[in-house]
Amino acid sequence: MLLNALCNWHKPMRLLPRLFFLRAIVALLTIAFTVRSSPAQSAGEIPPEWGEVLRSLAHKIAAGAKPAKTFSLDVRNLSSLNEGEVDGIRQMLVADLSSLGLKIRMAPADAQLQVTLSESAHDYVWVAEIRRGETSDVVMVSAERGAMKKSSAKRPSLTLQRKLIWEQEARILDFGLLEAAAEGASILVILEPDTIAFYDYRAGEWQLNRGIDIGHERPVQRDVRGRIDLQAGKAELPGSECAGNFQRPETVTCIRTPATKSAALAGVRGENAEDRAMVAPACGVHDPVLISGPGDWTEPDFIQMYEGSRQRGAVSQQIQFAGPVLALWASEDGKTARVVSRNLKTGAYEASIVSVSCGD
Amino acid sequence: MEIGATIKSLDPSVAAASPQEADAKTELDALLYDHRGEDGAFAGTAGSGAFRVSEWEAGKRAVLAANEDYRQGRPFVDAIEIQMGRSAHERVVDLELNKTDFVQIPAEQARQAADRGVRVSASQPDELLALVFVRSRAATGDARVREAIARCIDRAAIVNFILQKEGEPAGGLLPQWSSGTAFLFSLDTDAHGAKEIRPQIPASTKFVLGYDSADTLEQSVAERIAVNAKEAGISLASRAMPTPGTKRANANDSKPEPEIHVDARLIHLRMPSPHPRISLTAFINRLGSLAGIADSPLPESASPEDIYYSERSIINSGLVVPLVWLPQVVGLSAQVRDWKRPEAGQSWPLADVWLDSAADAR
Repeated sequence: MLLNALCNWHKPMRLLPRLFFLRAIVALLTIAFTVRSSPAQSAGEIPPEWGEVLRSLAHKIAAGAKPAKTFSLDVRNLSSLNEGEVDGIRQMLVADLSSLGLKIRMAPADAQLQVTLSESAHDYVWVAEIRRGETSDVVMVSAERGAMKKSSAKRPSLTLQRKLIWEQEARILDFGLLEAAAEGASILVILEPDTIAFYDYRAGEWQLNRGIDIGHERPVQRDVRGRIDLQAGKAELPGSECAGNFQRPETVTCIRTPATKSAALAGVRGENAEDRAMVAPACGVHDPVLISGPGDWTEPDFIQMYEGSRQRGAVSQQIQFAGPVLALWASEDGKTARVVSRNLKTGAYEASIVSVSCGD
Repeated sequence: MEIGATIKSLDPSVAAASPQEADAKTELDALLYDHRGEDGAFAGTAGSGAFRVSEWEAGKRAVLAANEDYRQGRPFVDAIEIQMGRSAHERVVDLELNKTDFVQIPAEQARQAADRGVRVSASQPDELLALVFVRSRAATGDARVREAIARCIDRAAIVNFILQKEGEPAGGLLPQWSSGTAFLFSLDTDAHGAKEIRPQIPASTKFVLGYDSADTLEQSVAERIAVNAKEAGISLASRAMPTPGTKRANANDSKPEPEIHVDARLIHLRMPSPHPRISLTAFINRLGSLAGIADSPLPESASPEDIYYSERSIINSGLVVPLVWLPQVVGLSAQVRDWKRPEAGQSWPLADVWLDSAADAR
């Protein structure tokens, strides 16, 4: 899978201060946000952030429906929410309306309430149409779409888990996590085509410690690839190398080098390709290999574990990505893999760690 | 690559003579300029983008060469040759004959082209075709008149028969995928309601609906609306209007162009962004001068509710009647790889595609 460099004319990535774009997310192991395959959302299991949104909708309905006290309620779903999520929303809304002294009952009722769960280009939009005789009113709220956890099918006994570590607008070639010289501190290294950036985890968030300009002689190739080797203390990309003690970013310097002969860093002009990473034996699988899907830069992608090769069959479920997997590298100890992908819905580049666990 | 419009100048500061030229120019400028702001204005210098102009024949042909020093990396293709002013039929035939790799296809011809085996890529519907009542025309100054005409229009027939199902009926000014609230606007035809209003309109009133003479889709839609109106007992005639920027057949004729008075006209409104607030603001600006719509600008913090009520107030004024949503359709040769259909407001991602010469042989 290859690096993508789609032009986005409406979101210039370099014109505004860098940190403006960085949406720190995340999570270093203990604080990681885990996107994990899980059974379909059951009724009542909705993100806590949505509870506040539904309370706001209930208040708007109560204000718009005065003096009605009893309602007939119909909920329809025009969005990508699943049946369990819709059920959960309905239950919570009924509870919120009840707490405001409004009762839901079958006809006859003072007013008819039609709630439509819709979605816009960016968020869920929940609309309540209140009809009382000849009059009608419309109120609505919006809820963040990213709040909902992904759901998926039944898990096999060997399970892949994905931890999203970082996302940003600018292209990511590779990344690395390591312990800082100070005890208990962590460092996140992000390799971009033009910069290598070091972030410290301080006061509950990642903060930029140092960004080092790589200083290419010419603009980089559109399909440039790069790799961080934490053990060797260096980052390589065609024509450049940055080296030093990554635990002490002030020691890191970048130099120009002869064009690399490394096949791993060679671009292949956007053709269909798959990435693979050999990881350490786990869960009775002796030569496990993680392989990305065969799609190109324009499609959602996945990573799945195989025994030796694709031909010998998958031994795990697929982990879905909302866009192409651009880089897939095994970690130094072979227990996890680093994944760089691009989310086609948001346009952001995402750095994730994929790990393996046995059983549920 | 072949397009229908003729572009006289690629300079962003030079105004386009027609909406078609403006759209085509925007697409090409997006390849030549590094970036543009939220307002759509290009920034930087020509050639700072993925391509540079290497040959230019105004209104006929252009060759854009890959920019080796492009900030985001050199495009995969070496050059793009653009033929302008090609008819829709010529474009599709040239694609079938492998004379070109990329053509624009009118939405109403997309199904036919696909049936002929053309590789077609359609965007989400992001272009609104609407009927706009012209400001200060006495015939449509009466809200009852506007309501009668709006009620009798059969949008489903326009989508099914004229657009061959390549589009969606429009009840609001924003599509459902963008605002999430389009379902709140009625799409129903109410010929009975229109007939009930008809007696309140003076019998002598005759309406003229104008359309762009160069736009066959507008012509078909205008004629269809005239039929709908007739069925409701309303006298409405469709009339071709000259495309802005076109010259008279006899250039030596010094007589002034006869003014064509229309009570309403069809217009295309293309979304500059998937974001409902940005697109609605752009539409209000465009409709302001034509239909006299003056709505207060939406702040950046506008909620979906604010956007909906702004949209609702324009629709309730009856000055604009949304008809259908159209997608942007292009035809691609088998060699084109990594094509990703652009979102609303995005330009053709031609810097990201590459040509697979092996596909030609297969």
